[in-house]
Amino acid sequence: MFSGKPLKPTFKCYLPPVQTDVNKTIEPPLRKLEPRLLSGEIVVNEVNFVKKCISTDNSQDDLWGKLICTNFKVSFIPQDPPQKQRTQLFHLLLGEHDIPLTCLDQVVTVNDLKGKKKILSSNQKLKFNPTELILYCKDLRIIRFCFDEAGPESARKVCLAIAHYSHPADIQLLFGFEYQGRRYHESKEERLRSSTQRGGALQVPIFDRSSDWDREIKRTSASEWRVCSVNQKYAISPSLPEHIVVPASLADQDLKQYSSFYNDGRIPMWCWSNRDGSALIRMANITDLQQQRKIEQRIFSAIRKSHPQDSEAVRLELDKGLPTIQEIQSAFAKIRQICVLDPFEETEERWLSSIENSRWLDYVRVFLRQSAEIVYLLDGRNVSVILQEEEDRDLNCVVSSLVQLMLDPHYRSLTGFQSLVQKEWVMAGHRFLDRCNHLKKNDREECPLFTLFLDCVWQMMNQYPAAFEFTEAYLTVLSDSMWIPLFSTFLFNSPKQRTQLLTDFAKNKAIPPGEDPAGFFPAVWEWSQQFSTKDQTLFNNPMYVGKGSARVQNGEVKTFRRTKKVYSSTVRGTSSLPANGLKGNGERRRSSLVSELKPDFSPVKVESPSDRFFRDWFSQPADQHGVLIPLLMPSHVALWKLFFLRWVSEACIPNGGPITTYHKLSQLVDEIDILQSQLRQYKGSSPGSTPLPSPSAPPSNQRRMYFKATPPCDPSTVPDVFTSSFPFSPVGNLCRRNLQGTPIGKFLNGAKIWLSTETLANDTV
Amino acid sequence: MASPVSVYSNTRDPQIRTTARDSLKMDLLANVSLLPGEERIIDKDVIYICPFNGAVKGKVLITNYRLYFNSVDLDVLVSLDVPLGAISRVEKMGGASSRGENSYGLDITCKDMRNLRFALKQEGHSRRDLFELLFRYAFPLSHGSPLFAYLNQEKFPENGWSIYKPVEEFRRQGLPNNKWRITFINKNYELCDTYPTVLAVPFKSTEEDLKRVATFRSRGRIPVLSWIHRENKAVIVRCSQPLVGMSGKRNKDDERYLDLIREANDTTKLTIYDARPSVNAVANKATGGGYEGDEYQNAELVFLDIQNIHVMRESLKKLKDIVYPTVEESHWLSSLESTHWLEHIKLVLSGAIQVADKVSGGHSVVVHCSDGWDRTAQLTSLAMLMLDSHFRTLRGLQVLIEKEWISFGHKFASRIGHGDKNHTDQDRSPIFVQFIDCVWQMTKQFPTAFEFNENLLLTILDHLYSCRFGTFLYNCESARDQNEVRTKTLSLWSLVNSKMEIYLNPFYTPESGRVLYPVASMRHLELWVTYYIRWNPRIQHQQQSPVEQRYRELLALRDEYLKKLEQLQMSDSSSTSSDLANSSAPNASSSTPPKKYLRTPL
Repeated sequence: MFSGKPLKPTFKCYLPPVQTDVNKTIEPPLRKLEPRLLSGEIVVNEVNFVKKCISTDNSQDDLWGKLICTNFKVSFIPQDPPQKQRTQLFHLLLGEHDIPLTCLDQVVTVNDLKGKKKILSSNQKLKFNPTELILYCKDLRIIRFCFDEAGPESARKVCLAIAHYSHPADIQLLFGFEYQGRRYHESKEERLRSSTQRGGALQVPIFDRSSDWDREIKRTSASEWRVCSVNQKYAISPSLPEHIVVPASLADQDLKQYSSFYNDGRIPMWCWSNRDGSALIRMANITDLQQQRKIEQRIFSAIRKSHPQDSEAVRLELDKGLPTIQEIQSAFAKIRQICVLDPFEETEERWLSSIENSRWLDYVRVFLRQSAEIVYLLDGRNVSVILQEEEDRDLNCVVSSLVQLMLDPHYRSLTGFQSLVQKEWVMAGHRFLDRCNHLKKNDREECPLFTLFLDCVWQMMNQYPAAFEFTEAYLTVLSDSMWIPLFSTFLFNSPKQRTQLLTDFAKNKAIPPGEDPAGFFPAVWEWSQQFSTKDQTLFNNPMYVGKGSARVQNGEVKTFRRTKKVYSSTVRGTSSLPANGLKGNGERRRSSLVSELKPDFSPVKVESPSDRFFRDWFSQPADQHGVLIPLLMPSHVALWKLFFLRWVSEACIPNGGPITTYHKLSQLVDEIDILQSQLRQYKGSSPGSTPLPSPSAPPSNQRRMYFKATPPCDPSTVPDVFTSSFPFSPVGNLCRRNLQGTPIGKFLNGAKIWLSTETLANDTV
Repeated sequence: MASPVSVYSNTRDPQIRTTARDSLKMDLLANVSLLPGEERIIDKDVIYICPFNGAVKGKVLITNYRLYFNSVDLDVLVSLDVPLGAISRVEKMGGASSRGENSYGLDITCKDMRNLRFALKQEGHSRRDLFELLFRYAFPLSHGSPLFAYLNQEKFPENGWSIYKPVEEFRRQGLPNNKWRITFINKNYELCDTYPTVLAVPFKSTEEDLKRVATFRSRGRIPVLSWIHRENKAVIVRCSQPLVGMSGKRNKDDERYLDLIREANDTTKLTIYDARPSVNAVANKATGGGYEGDEYQNAELVFLDIQNIHVMRESLKKLKDIVYPTVEESHWLSSLESTHWLEHIKLVLSGAIQVADKVSGGHSVVVHCSDGWDRTAQLTSLAMLMLDSHFRTLRGLQVLIEKEWISFGHKFASRIGHGDKNHTDQDRSPIFVQFIDCVWQMTKQFPTAFEFNENLLLTILDHLYSCRFGTFLYNCESARDQNEVRTKTLSLWSLVNSKMEIYLNPFYTPESGRVLYPVASMRHLELWVTYYIRWNPRIQHQQQSPVEQRYRELLALRDEYLKKLEQLQMSDSSSTSSDLANSSAPNASSSTPPKKYLRTPL
């Protein structure tokens, strides 16, 4: 832009070209409506003359086109190319009107004339010709198609096809297995040329090899811990990674022996160590109660030995006091109901209490509070903490990752955050396949735990906006990626399943043995799969204070610099507890920690040491690069509007919302980046010598900010497309049924919870 | 570990100077900064029963302006700085024979969402003098003494009283024109004693018309122009209710007068917004009031369902109950809902949106409630804020407040009860607080559209109560004239405009002509925690508006780089070519195109 090149794309490049006459003349009067297919994608059924409903109230904006079901997605191709300005991110694999089959939550067919409706699942019959198809999506969109003018039989077939293909019988039928196989062979040469790095451009450690763990041990100076390969070939546990970190004093032989007593063989696994040596450990329950005491004694004493002060660890049983999987699922169903399904105006009056009744924000708060209490134990009291959960694969994932996010600024960088998800979710065996219910086999196992975690992260980000390298748009896009079955990250239940399926996959697709799975079936962290380099800059937080954060650069780990400890002296000074006051205290704490949400200030009562720790912490200005504890007063835990309301056009603020400040911040940071590079060029040249004739900005594709610094008074900078939903657009993505009068209206109105397959199935024809 | 609690008002007040006179005598109070004209009245050892830290020993100082407290205990640093104007009630708690620790003392209720409790020694009537002096200085009007605004000797470089000149403001709006004229009929407050002296009325209406209309409008508050749309000439007109009464009286002059308003921009229908719920409007007939009926041809009447001052007062009281001293923990959102505070905000905002929408669509509107000084002021000023970007500037907001609130007789004295001991007065109500809350809601939804920041709104609300400035004193202009407010007291805007930079929003992007429509939905309305919950020490920990702070830091960084680059370029050019050295004036150095390009204004 500086060197007089033609203007590089601004956000406007995602809009249709402005008034180009060329476009008009090129366009034939009747376009052939061809879907954009990925490699390996095939059309299974299609129907013409379908109307996509854009607005609930009027049909003026409705689009005519073709509805297509492929083995990957539901696609709608409008007859007329969109005239409206689009503000959303341009997805490289999905069009504006596309929905991946894995993103479908419910497929509902309606016949208005007969007053019938039916939720379709796999292999079902449909006894009526649908006049309408409503797709309830897992990313909270609601998409509606009308078949008034379409052939009734073909409409029926498409609906059945969509229902059928969204219920794959086997995980290997998920489209990713087809797509990545083809992609591997098609892009072989390109890959050889560019030698793609593991985990995307940022080199996110995948934690499937011991070196990733080694680096983490070094980074946190956890000298009394070692990488152990006792689980190689998943010998002791199918859900633990092959390499885990354990106390240095425990021998492989012992671990092997202990593992048989633990649920699923999940022996205690090290997560992270604090600067003074206290460690965070996670483990499953011991199944053999007779052996429990003995084994625990040994393991706990090994953990104690790994602590520099030889202090005993506190054990917290997370499933006592935190909400259950079912409770979390039901809370999410309710808040989703309130935010997107219920009619907008009717929910206004009781909005706040409805949100409260869903309990979603309560749960967000409980998890944050639990994590903050552990921060106190690890940092304030410098004791190691063992998170125990029956299976160690759900609540422990949330809590351990939140604790690390609060304590360690490394995880607030983009790479750090992604490695945290790899470490505490993917490789720790969170059952993504079941929790996401990709195969729609068992609704009872479905649970939005990862979404809950993302919401907790957003709360932290909302309170400390400069502490994170990434944005809420990033978190939202990450949550959407769960429903695209093309990345290895969210597909599997366990590391063993991952390894097995990827080995089979490699065999079937003739991928030479020894190839890195991260290469032939990439993780979501390779964002270039989904978005252009430019669009990925929407992930960058211009406010981020990133100095001193640990970064893996050129394969080398920079030392993890932590800020000075501010509170330790206070806490040690005031804590009346013995320096190692251990298991007994753990028991006591457990009861008070979890469910009991006491007022933040109860001066009359005796202040507990943890209250004191928090009070001291909050009396200091927060250090963006130190420990961060969220404010947990209910007034400070908010609804994540971008996530829950982005599709709701009534809630969309035109020309407003947080994007307006984001825009200004990123322009300013872009300007600073340019200045910095100019200064660097000056400094590069030796004094006295002639500087480069015209110091130029970094090339546009290397600029970090989505919005570029612009000359003043440039009319093109007036951000007309900003709304509170940016970078998403509500247009056509949330179309509730018009409820007045119709029998279906009555039905949907009466439904007080998100329609479950069961309730609706009983209610069908 | 020290935990400084609530040294609040000082942080935003640049004008306080330190008096070191008695520094030796009173260690603890040595660093109290007094205003010129402020005098020490009494100091005493007390125990402050802090709701956050428990009992705190320390010293209290009463001046003729404030109550100041500092703790002795270095472990818990607590200090309080409360303008006496913010006190609504002082009570004795416990008696000489009360049992229990700290049960004898004073209980102080404040208008700004907090309560204070001090305990004293039980022997020797130790609280008597403190109580009496506090009572006398907190409620000077009840004791026949002057408000502190009249004693304040501060000096400011700018005179805030000159911020608003009615004729100038009308001229800015393009008035008078061939449809609207300026009248001085009220220059002696004879037409209406609660209106300003300068009014804009339909060109075709005569002074006689105005007088006749005044007889049919409650308290003579006739329909007058507040704002005119530059392009479509649609207007916002404000007034009080018509005196219809039980018998359904009519007044031809009033009917014709309203039709003149409609005619002025040739629209077919005039919309009358009655801010009240329709039942209230009907009930007002019993006391002689009412609303415009079918006899008003070419007019439609819309009720906006905004509740009266009593409902608003009770609502804020409920809100205080759930946020002070501790935030309601177990059922926060439903408790918040049951205060209805946000619901009221929603109704006020959506009323203003309707007004703004109508006017930007080219239709003139008339807005009234009962007397036209509470809800009407809220609606007209908020609609003007949406329609006219000038009012979204720092000075524009001051003009808006001076015009729609102060000059048009919002009864600040009655609503706030400045210097008055009668804390149960039914006339008190947080109508202006509610308005500022609405403004804050708008700034939240459009963070780049306002030139001022949250700090200004907080400062305005602090001085709504403080009585340090004359700005919010008295009920109307005639009373202000009588009491010589503009000559004997200082304007709040003198303070603000002398230290503007701390009230400026760095994100501000001027966009004239854009109408802002906030979304008046519970999905977006938020509790203004940095105001209502600000006494909670945990809130104070968080930087005020961290996003704004960060932006300021980045701006400073940018400027530093620019300066460095300029220096480098200057030294370069001086060494290579003397021609280029000439262009090294600040902001120039246009030798390279990127430099010019980088001159983005702040």
